[in-house]
Amino acid sequence: MTRKHASRKKGSHTGTVLSNVQAGECFWKLRLRFDGEAARAFAGFTPGQFIQFDVSDLAIPSTGSIPTALLDGARRNVLLRRPFSFSDVTADADTTTADLLYCIVGPASLRMTTLREGDTAHLIGPLGNGFAVPEGKQTALLVVGGMGLPPIRCLAKSLSIEHPDIETVAFIGSRTVNALPLEERPARFDKGMSLSVPTFATLGVPSMVATDDGSAGHQGPVTECLSQWLRENPDRPREEVIVYACGPERMLAAVAQIANAKEIDCQVSMERRMACGIGLCQSCAIECRVVGSDETIYKLCCQDGPVFDAREVVFGADDA
Amino acid sequence: MAERFDMSVKFAGLKLANPVFTASGTCGYADELADFLDVDALGGFITKSITLKPRKGNPTPRIVETDAGMLNAIGLANVGLERFVAEKLPVIARMKSAVFVNVAGTTIEEYVAVVERLAEEKAIAGFELNISCPNVKKGGISFGTDPAQVEEITRAVKKACGSKVLIVKLAPAVTDISVTARAAVAGGADALSLINTFTAMVIDIETRRPVLANRTGGLSGPAIKPVAVYLVNKVYREVAREAGIPLLGLGGIRSAADAVEFLIAGATAVAIGTASFVEPDCATQVVAGLREYCLRKKIARLDELTGSLHEPA
Ligand SMILES: Cc1cc2nc3c(=O)[nH]c(=O)nc-3n(C[C@H](O)[C@H](O)[C@H](O)COP(=O)(O)OP(=O)(O)OC[C@H]3O[C@@H](n4cnc5c(N)ncnc54)[C@H](O)[C@@H]3O)c2cc1C
Ligand SMILES: Cc1cc2nc3c(=O)[nH]c(=O)nc-3n(C[C@H](O)[C@H](O)[C@H](O)COP(=O)(O)O)c2cc1C
Ligand code: FES
Repeated sequence: MTRKHASRKKGSHTGTVLSNVQAGECFWKLRLRFDGEAARAFAGFTPGQFIQFDVSDLAIPSTGSIPTALLDGARRNVLLRRPFSFSDVTADADTTTADLLYCIVGPASLRMTTLREGDTAHLIGPLGNGFAVPEGKQTALLVVGGMGLPPIRCLAKSLSIEHPDIETVAFIGSRTVNALPLEERPARFDKGMSLSVPTFATLGVPSMVATDDGSAGHQGPVTECLSQWLRENPDRPREEVIVYACGPERMLAAVAQIANAKEIDCQVSMERRMACGIGLCQSCAIECRVVGSDETIYKLCCQDGPVFDAREVVFGADDA
Repeated sequence: MAERFDMSVKFAGLKLANPVFTASGTCGYADELADFLDVDALGGFITKSITLKPRKGNPTPRIVETDAGMLNAIGLANVGLERFVAEKLPVIARMKSAVFVNVAGTTIEEYVAVVERLAEEKAIAGFELNISCPNVKKGGISFGTDPAQVEEITRAVKKACGSKVLIVKLAPAVTDISVTARAAVAGGADALSLINTFTAMVIDIETRRPVLANRTGGLSGPAIKPVAVYLVNKVYREVAREAGIPLLGLGGIRSAADAVEFLIAGATAVAIGTASFVEPDCATQVVAGLREYCLRKKIARLDELTGSLHEPA
């Protein structure tokens, strides 16, 4: 198995804000341009890797534009950097552009909305290990839960360019349709597998949507769609299939259970609260099994992950 | 090009290239920082606490951010003495900076066993005794709050550490820190470091649960800096100056200006903790800023600053 590592060189970089707009009901899209050394560093970005964003010097939006639920949180100062993944990375000759999709959930993400075109963004990256494509894979099943979309979107793009031979489909789950960070909303979502979701369709990736409240696609957990697809496609050799997932830990646990039961390779992108993102603090522990033993050990989400083999992770509650 | 200025300091008989350390538990085992700064340019490097047996540490969430600080309850997760010797020591041995191994345990015997095993290692300049970690259930902080125990454990470890320098790290949340400082000095400490974190708690008001899986965690970062400056000054005036014991000051330092405050308060050297998470090269930035300060203030040698606090106007 070849594990494609991005360049191991991580560093402190700056990017220039090209745009920063509310791109949907629940999320914003920040586009950054990197030049020089930063451009080279992020040209080697592997989907699933992440950055640590320093937003401590950003302003708070004016009180009127702060959602009521966040008014208390907005007063909190931000000290630590925040981890984010990229949903798209495009490397040209001298510059690299990257898209960051983010939800406003607290003081840091709230401050990010005040970034304007031409502003400088301070970040550390690329960090961690991204998704790997083992040899011999013919089918990639992408599973998204809510804000787990950005790294999976990034992976879908890289698969479409670097592995056009791999058949890729996406299963997109959410509490409700408006909580999905989709830039272009289709007029209607098909119930089954179709090219109705532009985010994936433009990459040639068919998808299936599932929502808990039935506001789009299948009503129920996205894992039901995954199971159904596997039932309906029993002829694929298991060793040629791989599942990639990012979303809430409960969803990842369910995806892992399905994949492990069928002995299908599965990589999950995990989330933890991170103080440093670079292996200094040990705050981001992920409990992992040790092969050939009942013991478990803690690995570090920021260094050993955030992408893990689903077989090794001992899933717990979300790290909220 | 900066003017030449000798940044070296004498610290418990050691000559250090400069007075800036990285603090225990905030700088990994050195190789993690190497992408961001020249680890050889540090005055000192203090490892994560090492215990006799490996420790998995606490469940997550292990950290939570607060206003101007953070709480951590890592639970002394570390590879344990044997793997430290096999895997980490060779990396550390290549460092030019003075390396101190931070030692923790639940019994005096455990502390002594770790120090005995490492006392002959050339790569190590000394030890920092962590008797003040708020995040382990047994021992830990109780050692650090009872002066009789502080003296006893310091004496036992000092006997085991041969010619190496012994720094005792003091707990801040005691009635009178000078009492524990005196006890450490009586036990044979070569230097004192202060402060470790304060036990603290953050509550999620939606669930009415503590945010940290461990309920409580240690508060660090800018929030604790003024308290740390005060405690360094108190220990300097009441214990260290007279005993001729150098202080390693830490707690919330993120700039050269912060570091200068600690030196004026009485510290001979300083350590960067939480700030390295935000700016991984914070320690070397502080070294550069200190140099500028000394040149601007026409200070000939850094030790002129130590304890140079004037009376209020
Ligand atoms: C590897 C990685 C990649 C990520 N990629 C993205 C992304 O592409 N887009 C995006 O919107 N978000 C992403 N996140 C989550 C993002 O880091 C948090 O939303 C952000 O830190 C929130 O900061 P805040 O100050 O706005 O809110 P805070 O007040 O810090 O957090 C709000 C609430 O969110 C929860 N929370 C915060 N951080 C985390 C975390 N790391 N894991 C789980 N729960 C958390 C807590 O319950 C907290 O109360 C990623 C996280 C990780 C670890
Ligand atoms: C995540 C984290 C882990 C720590 N681990 C240790 C440790 O293992 N041993 C120890 O003596 N101190 C430990 N500390 C305490 C620091 O060394 C330091 O005393 C404290 O954080 C105050 O300094 P600061 O405000 O600059 O961080 C830790 C601190 C943090 C934030
Ligand atoms: S976030 Fe600090 S070690 Fe992973």
